[in-house]
Amino acid sequence: MRGTARTVAVAAMSAVALLAAGCGSGDSSGDQSSAAGGKTGGEITVRGCNPQNPLVPSNTTETCGGNVIDAIFSKLVHYNAETAKPENDLAESIDTTDNQNFTVKLKQGRKFHDGTEIKAKNFVDAWNYAAYAPNGQSSGYFMEPIEGYGDLQCTGAGDDPCAGDGKAKSDKLTGLVAVDDYTFTIKTTEKVSNLPVRLGYSAFAPLPDAFFSDPKAFGDKPIGSGPYKLDAWNKEQSIVLSKFADYTGDFGGKVDKITFKIYTESDSAYNDVIGNNLDITDEIPTSALIDDKYKSDLPDRNAQKETGVIQTVTFAPTKVDPNYADPKIRQAISMAIDRDTIIKQIFNNTRVPATGWVSPVVDGYKADQCGEYCTYDPAKAKALLQEAGGFKGDKITLSYNADAAHKDWTEATCNSIKQALGVDCVATGVVDFATFRTEITERKMKGMFRTGWQMDYPSIENFLAPIFKTGASSNDGDYSNPEFDKLLTDAAASTDEAEANGLYQQAEALLAQDMPAIPMWYGKTTMGWSDKVTGVKITAFGTIDFSSVALK
Amino acid sequence: MGTYIVRRILQMIPVILGATFLIFAMVFALPGDPVAGKCGERPCSAAYRAAFIEKYNLDDPLPVQYGKYVINLAKGDLGTTSSDIPVADQLKLRVPVTAKLAFMAILIEAVIGILAGVVTGIRKGGFLDNLVLVSTLVLISIPIFVIGNVAQLYLGVKFGLFPVTVTSANPSFYELLLPALVLGSLSVAYVARLMRTNLVENLRSDYVRTAISKGLTKRRAYGLHALRNSLIPVVTFIGFDFGALLGGAVVTEGIFNIPGVGGYIFRAIRVRDGASVVGSVTFLVIVYLIVNLLVDLLYGLLDPRISHD
Repeated sequence: MRGTARTVAVAAMSAVALLAAGCGSGDSSGDQSSAAGGKTGGEITVRGCNPQNPLVPSNTTETCGGNVIDAIFSKLVHYNAETAKPENDLAESIDTTDNQNFTVKLKQGRKFHDGTEIKAKNFVDAWNYAAYAPNGQSSGYFMEPIEGYGDLQCTGAGDDPCAGDGKAKSDKLTGLVAVDDYTFTIKTTEKVSNLPVRLGYSAFAPLPDAFFSDPKAFGDKPIGSGPYKLDAWNKEQSIVLSKFADYTGDFGGKVDKITFKIYTESDSAYNDVIGNNLDITDEIPTSALIDDKYKSDLPDRNAQKETGVIQTVTFAPTKVDPNYADPKIRQAISMAIDRDTIIKQIFNNTRVPATGWVSPVVDGYKADQCGEYCTYDPAKAKALLQEAGGFKGDKITLSYNADAAHKDWTEATCNSIKQALGVDCVATGVVDFATFRTEITERKMKGMFRTGWQMDYPSIENFLAPIFKTGASSNDGDYSNPEFDKLLTDAAASTDEAEANGLYQQAEALLAQDMPAIPMWYGKTTMGWSDKVTGVKITAFGTIDFSSVALK
Repeated sequence: MGTYIVRRILQMIPVILGATFLIFAMVFALPGDPVAGKCGERPCSAAYRAAFIEKYNLDDPLPVQYGKYVINLAKGDLGTTSSDIPVADQLKLRVPVTAKLAFMAILIEAVIGILAGVVTGIRKGGFLDNLVLVSTLVLISIPIFVIGNVAQLYLGVKFGLFPVTVTSANPSFYELLLPALVLGSLSVAYVARLMRTNLVENLRSDYVRTAISKGLTKRRAYGLHALRNSLIPVVTFIGFDFGALLGGAVVTEGIFNIPGVGGYIFRAIRVRDGASVVGSVTFLVIVYLIVNLLVDLLYGLLDPRISHD
């Protein structure tokens, strides 16, 4: 998932956590953008960072590559830059009557950058490639709901599960059928009510035939389908995109050329924006966030928006650390955290206190799902802890990866807990992200640890199922609640959107009772731009919306 | 002389082998799992892991891994980074930039430092001497990131005398001037102080007094005899500094966004990109050995009593 890899990226940078590097004026609307308009044509430069992998949509899980992939690949649906609502892009229609059998009709005449037309088989082949385990695609799991996914996985044990008997039985998903050039059907194993919303994620991008003949060359110079095509990727220096002349979709851009200039420090990118040497930076350095300095540096040339990112603190599974087993203890700890003060003092108001487990930017969000348990109340917290018989361990621990900017807020959180509950709390740094994640996945880490989630697609389901469903891939606390699972299944089966969202919200409400993870805050993204450009908008994903950027 | 150089070059081979093995062992003996964290907060799929491990021979025992690496190294193949970019290509792009920056910084520190050292050494205790003493003290006590950021803010952003950051893959002399000044500023102080102290000591020595009393002009006695002798520790320092600068200046490169070696190694270490770390550090070891050899040869030129034959 892309957001977490943002945390990886942050580990490779000195800047503030990428989970919204922004600066807030404190107003919740916070979404300003410069007046639209401007002229068409011209060139802009944008802050970029190093893609960690070849630019293949189904193998790109981090923002550096993701930002480029988003601009050069069209998907079946496109998320509205303002509202994050899915709108048909390559798809003419996506129809289903039972949430299990979907018929996708494509618009005719849309082309890849090599001039070949985008047809049904380009989707079927791409998704099969992503799902086929031996290809080792990091986003392959997005195909999991599609029927036949299990047969494309390796079942062997040991170092190489794909060796010998463990070989995948098939390399084609039975649930994908190309009916004709412009129609294909998707059959899912279980009911998935929000499948059409998911199809805007980059892992679902179609791939041209050229990809399959030479995936390696493609990764260096991808042939996409979006409004911009990739001209050159100068490794570690710049990525140059230009307008695709044959683009006939609705989401084209105004400028002719976009150059991602690769920066290692957000400070130098920011200084370049002030000096008009760089047009847009999607990251404001910490130094400029203090006292809203960036607003005086870049008057009317900055914007801020809440994005689909949440920071949480997860409890180790009960069998790893029984001291936190009682939900009352977890709720007491959550109530002992003074989120407002931490956000003000440490994040310069670039976060929004969380009132639930789902980001406000997504479809199906409901406020105050966490209720009083996410409201700072030291007296109640202490009472609740006493009710649970006090804390049995010698101290509460909160672990974080020390290679990114988490030390300050984890220590502040611990101090807040210590003062409210009178129990010692220690923030423990783990040397780096890789070690940190290893300890968590091997279930060796005790106490509490920081976890973050950035949405893959704007749906309430994406904040619940992958994290809290029994046995889900990112369920680090081994949370398991049959009632919760059943509500998710029912929601996925519901053909009525409002009803589905209602069921998801009921499931989320259960999390307040069990408190498997403490919601901390939602992220915001802040951007700044030079005085040459206009129409810069931030999407719900915290990326630049290239369809509206123009030169003045 | 010739045999000495050959002997020194032959001695480099075991040093390079030993150093690379140590680095290799250290990089791959880091705690944790090299694949962890590659897929963000979720564990990587088994297939992704298998593909990754196979690509980097991570399932072989360490000596076998190292053997494979050295065989490739002998062919001139430094391996590929985890983003599948050949390390050699990256170094080819970055080393010239870093070298250019290092040369400029060394030139600045050598010229200014030696001049300041000589002037203050000859006129010990004067106004100039005290001025240099105080200003070098200030330079030594300010951390480089402060100097760099302040210089960038005032000379780049506010007054526009210099470009704010380096924007091209092959930066011009002018683009690198400010970073080179920042980099050289710290060493200028050391060079000036070393030079001054050694010169003061040598000017009091017997051979200078003898030379003066034999009727040599002050200029000849100081310039030819005292100065040459005093330069030996200075040259040692400059040589060491040059090697260090070729290893990249992480902080300065970061501030000015210079596509050099330092930032590359720094990032590679952070994302656990073993091949990049080992490849670039191997290269640095070779650079250090060569610079050391050059410094030793320079001793011979400066002081005929140190002979390599």
